[in-house]
Amino acid sequence: MSDDGRTLLVSSTEQLWKSSTRRSFLKMLGVGGTIVLAPALFEACDGYSPATAPGMGGGGSASLNLSDDIGILNYAYALEQLEAAFYTAVVASAAFGSLNADQQEVMSDLRSHEVIHREFLKAALGQKAIGTLAFSTTAVASTLTSGAVILKNAEAFEDLGVSAYNGAGKYLKSADYLTLAGKIVSVEARHAAAIRDIRDAAGVTGGTAAGTRFAGDDVVASSGATAGLDVKLEPSSVLGRVGSTGLLTTMVTIGASPSGSATPDAGPPSPTP
Amino acid sequence: MEQTQTILGTIEPDITKRLVSRREAILKGAAIGSSVAAGLAMMSAPIALAALSREAFGQGTPLSVQQVIDFALKLEIFENEFYKAVLGISSVAAQNTAFAAVRAMVPAAAIPAIQQIQKHEVEHVAFLMANGAVNSLNLNGSSFDFTGGRGTGTGPFAQATVDVNFLLLVAQGAEDTGVRAYKGQAPNLMTNPAVLEAALRIHSVEARHASKIRRLRRMTGASNIKYSGTITGGGAAAAGAGNISNPSAGAVTALGMIYAGEDNVMQGGLDVTQLPNLPSGIDKTAAATEAFDEPLSAAAVVAIVQPFFIPSLS
Repeated sequence: MSDDGRTLLVSSTEQLWKSSTRRSFLKMLGVGGTIVLAPALFEACDGYSPATAPGMGGGGSASLNLSDDIGILNYAYALEQLEAAFYTAVVASAAFGSLNADQQEVMSDLRSHEVIHREFLKAALGQKAIGTLAFSTTAVASTLTSGAVILKNAEAFEDLGVSAYNGAGKYLKSADYLTLAGKIVSVEARHAAAIRDIRDAAGVTGGTAAGTRFAGDDVVASSGATAGLDVKLEPSSVLGRVGSTGLLTTMVTIGASPSGSATPDAGPPSPTP
Repeated sequence: MEQTQTILGTIEPDITKRLVSRREAILKGAAIGSSVAAGLAMMSAPIALAALSREAFGQGTPLSVQQVIDFALKLEIFENEFYKAVLGISSVAAQNTAFAAVRAMVPAAAIPAIQQIQKHEVEHVAFLMANGAVNSLNLNGSSFDFTGGRGTGTGPFAQATVDVNFLLLVAQGAEDTGVRAYKGQAPNLMTNPAVLEAALRIHSVEARHASKIRRLRRMTGASNIKYSGTITGGGAAAAGAGNISNPSAGAVTALGMIYAGEDNVMQGGLDVTQLPNLPSGIDKTAAATEAFDEPLSAAAVVAIVQPFFIPSLS
């Protein structure tokens, strides 16, 4: 794909916000090209998630064929790997101890749920599963510097997860897979509301009125034709946000676009976790 | 470049055969035990996921897209009118009066949350109607008996008008039922991707509501509810009614219906509690039930909500 001029390499967080890159990004989406989300930091794999799958040495890459259900499920698997790695790191972090008992219970439970989602998708996909994604130690550590930073990143991860499942469900061709995705996304939404409620109680009010952050106006549309509807993002938008975090050292690419019509994005406010 | 090549191959017939026999083994209740890891390792998605995921709670006579949105509209009107009565803003004075006593007991901090939820319910009603849903029963504020008594005003949920803990339990049950109802109908919307996506976006809002109500309940004495807002286990126990004194037998039965099957740990033919690499020291069964929400058929939802509707839903 690199020699036909339809591959865009995004290699740093800053690059994603440059207007020239954004233009290319949008152009790529228009022609169904490949967007390569390179990590901001190319580092050796760390202890959070060693690259073990074939073809995954160092940071490696994973291509998602979103034109079929297996590709969509692998997209979910990639996101669940990210969430599971984050919460596994959270409960092992120094800052975890600074959270109160309520918050620690939530973090530990979310760790369990996300690890279950990851392991379930991996087992269910079997030989069709993409490899284990590798993470940047430095970037992961930057998400764990304090209790407040952990909670902020957790909110971003959960809202991104809700956006991703809500945006991808329409591309699934199997009713069984759609039901499975539905079983997971409502749990992600419960998580998002819990984290948001914790931050609400801690005085975080950006974009929301006090006491309403669990389903705040920053994520549930409050006006227009979609009032009352939650966030949704197309897969390319989700992977763009993931890539811009620099958390992954594995390049996750879209090898084939979803078959079906994209809808306008309505993403959560924060551009990156 | 290599990374743009597909990593997906074709399904091998012999693996398919093995998986199908594994499915049959599971259906027959064969012990899973230590062989599960090897079994899981050779699982392949199309079979493993499809094999057992059509579980009883998602089944029922398929509804058309129109029927689904009409059904959703009934539920949203019910939720909206319930919260309006709780907040004292129903157009029906008697509904406001019924909740006057308990309204004064609602913690001040919970009011903005209930207002936000009610705002979303009225938006859902408007969205569905703007997209073709028909209120064929002409439901309005006077169409409901929030005691669950079909108009007698003395149903099993009458305690909600005098006991704030019970009121929040009813709200939780309504939200969790909403989540299950939308989830159960998603497959019936696949022929219309735009409607499906909108329904998914409403579904996750209902889940956010349910999570918030659950946290409110935990903070006001429902000690067996998780702060994460997720559902642990199934049946009436999953309601977390430990802080309710003397709930009526009818209420307990209804809670059992609302959470029936939420204790499922089999997903796509896999026993989630037997997955590898789960964190050590956790209650795997509890976590497995929390990590997946279960759908309900339209018929099961109707059975739950009919007592609150004075008109017949069938």
